[in-house]
Parts: sequence; structure tokens; C-alpha cells
Amino acid sequence: MSGGVVEGKEHKDGEENMAAWLVGIKTLKIEPYHLPPLGPHDVKVQIKALGICGSDVHHFKNMRCANFIVKKPMVIGHECAGIIEEVGSQVKTLAVGDRVALEPGISCRRCNLCKDGRYNLCPEMKFFGSPPTNGSLANKVVHPEYLCFKLPDNVSLEEGAMCEPLSVGVHACRRANISPETNVLIVGAGPIGLVVLLAARAFGAPRIVIVDVDDCRLSIAKNLGADETIQVSTNIQDVGEEVVKIQSAMGSGIDASFDCVGLNKTTSTALNATRSGGKVCLIGLAQSESTVPLTSAAVREVDVIGIFRYRNTWPLCIELLKTGKIDVKPLITHRFGFSQKGVEDAFETSASGRSAIKVMFNL
Amino acid sequence: MGKGGMSHGSAGEAKDGEEENMAAWLLGINTLKIQPFKLPPLGPHDVKIRMKAVGICGSDVHYLKTLRCADFIVKEPMVIGHECAGIIEEVGSEVKKLVPGDRVALEPGISCWRCNLCKEGRYNLCPEMKFFATPPIHGSLANQVVHPADLCFKLPDNVSLEEGAMCEPLSVGVHACRRANIGPETNVLVMGAGPIGLVTMLAARAFGAPRIVIVDVDDHRLSVAKELGADEIVKVSPNIQDVAEEVSQIHKAMEAGVDVSFDCAGFNKTMSTALSATRAGGKVCLVGMGHSEMTVPLTPAAAREVDVVGIFRYKNTWPLCLEFISSGKIDVKPLITHRFGFSQKEVEEAFETSAGGGNAIKVMFNL
Repeated sequence: MSGGVVEGKEHKDGEENMAAWLVGIKTLKIEPYHLPPLGPHDVKVQIKALGICGSDVHHFKNMRCANFIVKKPMVIGHECAGIIEEVGSQVKTLAVGDRVALEPGISCRRCNLCKDGRYNLCPEMKFFGSPPTNGSLANKVVHPEYLCFKLPDNVSLEEGAMCEPLSVGVHACRRANISPETNVLIVGAGPIGLVVLLAARAFGAPRIVIVDVDDCRLSIAKNLGADETIQVSTNIQDVGEEVVKIQSAMGSGIDASFDCVGLNKTTSTALNATRSGGKVCLIGLAQSESTVPLTSAAVREVDVIGIFRYRNTWPLCIELLKTGKIDVKPLITHRFGFSQKGVEDAFETSASGRSAIKVMFNL
Repeated sequence: MGKGGMSHGSAGEAKDGEEENMAAWLLGINTLKIQPFKLPPLGPHDVKIRMKAVGICGSDVHYLKTLRCADFIVKEPMVIGHECAGIIEEVGSEVKKLVPGDRVALEPGISCWRCNLCKEGRYNLCPEMKFFATPPIHGSLANQVVHPADLCFKLPDNVSLEEGAMCEPLSVGVHACRRANIGPETNVLVMGAGPIGLVTMLAARAFGAPRIVIVDVDDHRLSVAKELGADEIVKVSPNIQDVAEEVSQIHKAMEAGVDVSFDCAGFNKTMSTALSATRAGGKVCLVGMGHSEMTVPLTPAAAREVDVVGIFRYKNTWPLCLEFISSGKIDVKPLITHRFGFSQKEVEEAFETSAGGGNAIKVMFNL
């Protein structure tokens, strides 16, 4: 088993599966993880690449994320890719040795939302690393075949793991109808703002302006292809002035804005900057109550579109990576191995922000 | 001189024997005066209409009380009123579809027809919109107005002039139902049973909404809503602490998920209730215009992909409104609760009645 220091004894039938367990606030421990038996439609995947998400860090720091509360030890992590080790008796499309990217969430497939195709909203969703469902920062996991997507030869396992955050950008661009005719504003140049940038460009957005408080992140955004970057403040009084700067930088109406932060200031900026009849996509889920100029936006028929995770995005993400329309590799800024120290350092790095965009485990 | 109107100043006739056109002018806060209103010349695509029915809107009352409405400020005297219908008196040289004697309902807003928004069909958002009684454009509470023929819609024989005037507020409901995709599968929650909540309810039913729950703080308005066909009415409080409990009551009353909510009041409380009550993947239509800034649980709604759909006036709604009224799918007559003639005294009383709320839903002028 590469990269991981094994704790605990080995099982009769081979090496013990180990995982990174969240056992308390800021406390991760690599310990054995007993997998469920393989169902007929399941596959067993040896995890090879796993990225850390802001929500993982949030669970790590607070033992909760919005209404999801960690009540018992839980394996962390959900942005992953690996190699098929075993397939269930009814599995037809995958074989041992296949390299796959994993879509984390198992929906019920029976409720109206699922049947309507909006399975990301399923109330019975079982999602890696969202309590109480164990995540995938482990040597191996068991997962349904239909949520494992084969990677083309020219797409690496790390890029496979990046499909998960990229999916958020892709889903947002779909819901916002991004096209060759939509000028785009992105508020926030963190990992989510950056995948939205990449996705918006892939969907044809002709002009993209991105803003952030941090000039280091803005320069990354510029390198990734933003047409204009603007440094903004944390001060809500500056919204009026910043909207003017943003509209100047765009040079024409802003058709769609993505708030990838979710604070009053960022949402207000997005609402005020967007043209009449345009859309604001709210992706960043920062606070439970917002004070924003909602009416001023509504009377210009600026609609607010909510984004929660994604649905049916893996095939498109893989295609965009395969053809080179999107290059996610620059987003991977730090790499760690799967050891107690590696896990601790990785989370600390990810939590510190700034130059850390995507922290990736190689297992 | 049109019947019912007493004019100030000389009641004399103009040089060429035409009667003097009189209108209700907003001169200052709480000050309306009937005075002469000189009409522009009739363009080739215009018609001249003798006004017969004009309804009072909440925005008209707002202008009367404050001389402004949001960013629109009344800086000079302005004729008030915009919900109207009348009889064609004269047609411009290029007008083909209308003739004198035709009874028409008027769509108030003249957009530029050249900008991208207009060309895309979203003309209600035109930055150059000239809208009756939105300063600086004169309104239509007058004996006569001149208006583009393409914004005048012929009334079917079985639709009265008052019902024609009601097309304007009804259009807001129709436009909202279209933007929110109301259909036979959408259970609807309406926040607020004032004139806009009621036309939204009527429109939602006409679009096929299977179940409609309407809420308000006022018992009388709720009983009107029930008579107009609401499936359930729920009395709510003005107290923001009560949101959670009221959402519970609303869900019980709906007996199913709320697919679409219309906030026809536009307060923090009503919007918070709407956002919390609507099911994942549903829509909240913000129709009512309260404060420009709102404090609401926006993120929890966005995290359930509840979208907020904005509404500003309407577009391309008159033909459908007339069809709904003519076919009987919508009956707007019960909304007209008070009627006044076009005289100084009655104009003052009418606005007082409308501003007073209470039992007054739609106050209508008959000219």
C-alpha cells in the first residue's frame, strides 16, 4: 500500500483498510475502516487521489457544517479518484484495474426530486464526508458502479479527483445558462471561484471579470484566464464604488454573476452589478441570514439562483478535461501522503488559505 | 366636456371648438387638482382615447403621499393614474387595427423598441420606458389621452371598460405566474391578500395551480381571498419571530410541498416565510416592493436551490388577460369595491379611500 503508515493489526484476508477519521474538533486519526460487503451493483475502489474541500476543513474545525453535525467519528473527504479492485456480480461497465473518478453522493432514486432529475436535492442523500456518512479519505471504499466514471488515458487520477469541485462550477454554469453571449462576474477567487472561472470559459463566456480581497488569488485567476481582475475590500461601504469599477472593467452589461463567497458584501455586489434581466448564482454558503439589496434586484428582474452541489456533471467534466478545454492541474498547489502527519499537515495547509488552492492527497 | 368632471378655471372651449381636456394633476404632497391637460398632437401610429375607467394603484397612492416611489421622484406637476380603459375617438393616419368607437384597454408603458432588452422581448425592463404616471410621464386619469395604437387592446363585447382597466393589475399577476412557471403541477403560496396578492391568486388559478394557500394579517382580506377561490387561508402576524410556526401552519394547510411562493408584500417577514416555506428546487417570486434592502435567510434557500425570481410590471400580457376575462376563467369584478366620478371632490375621496386600505381593494373612477 503506497504512502500510508498502517496503524492497527492486519486482517485475516489481507491488509487492513485504513481511513482518516474525524474524531473531535481539529482531531483526525488514521485508524482501521471496516468496509461494508460488496453489493451486486457495487465496486471496491482503491483510492489514489483525494482533494480537501472547504467543507472538509469546516467539519474538521467545527464538527459541523450548516445543519450537518458530526455526532460520532466519521471518515473525512469526498473529492476522489482511484482504481477498481473488485466488482460486484451485476457490474457490467467497469472492470478491475479501471481508473475512475467518484461522484460522492448516493441519492434514494425513488423520491420526486430524484425522479425529476434533481437528485442533488434528495432529502435521503448519503454523501461522503457529510455526517453521518463516512467519507473516502481511505485506502479503499465501496461505492455504487453508476457513480464511478472511467477516466480516459490522458486524464490523471488527480484530475479525476478534481472533477468534484469542478462539478460545482459546471452545475452553476448550467443553472445560470452560461454561453457565448453571457458576460460573467465572479466574486471570490478561491477554489470555487476558480472552477467557476474555468467552467464559464468552457461554456463559452466571452468576458470574465473576477474579484477578491487577496491579490495572490487574483494573480492565479489572471493566469487561469480571467480577462480582468479587481481587488476589492471587506468593507460593505465600498460596494457602490466597486460596482462601478466592475462594470467599467466588464465594458458592457454583466449578464451573470457568481457569488462564490456568500457574505452580505459579496452578494450585494453581485446583485447591484448585474444587468436588468440577468442572474446571480449564489454558490458560497456562508451565512444563515443575509442583508442584501434584494428588492432593488427584483425590480430589475435580476433572479437569484441557488446552487447545491451538482447533478449529472461527471461525464461533462471528464470530457472537458480529456479535450483540454479545461486544465485543472494549476489548482493543485500542495500534495501530501496518507500518513498521520501528512493528514494533519494537509488540513492545516488547506485551512490557511492564501496560496493554498487545492491540497491533494496521493495514496 | 366629459360627464362627471367639474373643471377648475374656465370651462371654456378652445379656439377650434374642441372641449378642454381635463386631468387629475399631482401638484404636491396630498394635493391633486383637476386642471386642463393639453394633449400632444396625434402621431400616425397613435390613437386618441376618451377615458372611461381608471383604477387607483398602490403606486399612485404612494406618489400622492410622498411625491416619489423608489427612485422615481415627482419634480413637476404630473397627471396621475395608469390603470385604464376607454373608447377610441380618433386614429392616426397609419393606424389599421382600431377605429373610432372601439373600446380598448391600455397598456401604460411605451418602451423604446430599439435597445437589446426591448428587442429580446423584455421591454418591461427598458431603461427608456415612458410609463403613465411614473415621473416625468403624465398619467391617464383624464378625459382623453393620446397613446400608441399597438398598446391599445380591443375589448371583447362581453368585457366591460372597468374590467378592461383591471387588466393592468391583473397583468402583474399574469407576468408573475409566467415567470414562476405556474401550471397544473404547482402548488402555490401567496403572501399578502391585497390587490396584488388577489390578482396573483386569480392568475395562478387560471394557469391551473391545483392548490393555493394565501396568508395575510387582515381577516377581512383573507375572507375576500376565500370567496375568490383560495383553497386555504392562514392568518399570520407581523412578528418576525413567528416565521417558523407559520411555515408549519402553511405546510399543513397546503397538505403538500409548496412549489412556488409569491411574496406580494415584500417585507423581511413575508420573504423569510416564503423562502422557508418553499420546497427544495422551488421558486419564490418577489412581486411586492418593500424596502430596497432586505434581511432574509437567503443562503439556506439557495442551498436548497430555491430560486428568487424578480418581477417588474409585465410584458405581453393584455391579450391573455382579456382572454381570461372574456372566457370567464378570471372574474375581476369582485375586486372593484369602490367607485367614484371624475370631479375634484371625488378624486380626493377616491384616493383617501384607496389609501385607507381596510375594505377597499380596487377603487375605480368612472368617467
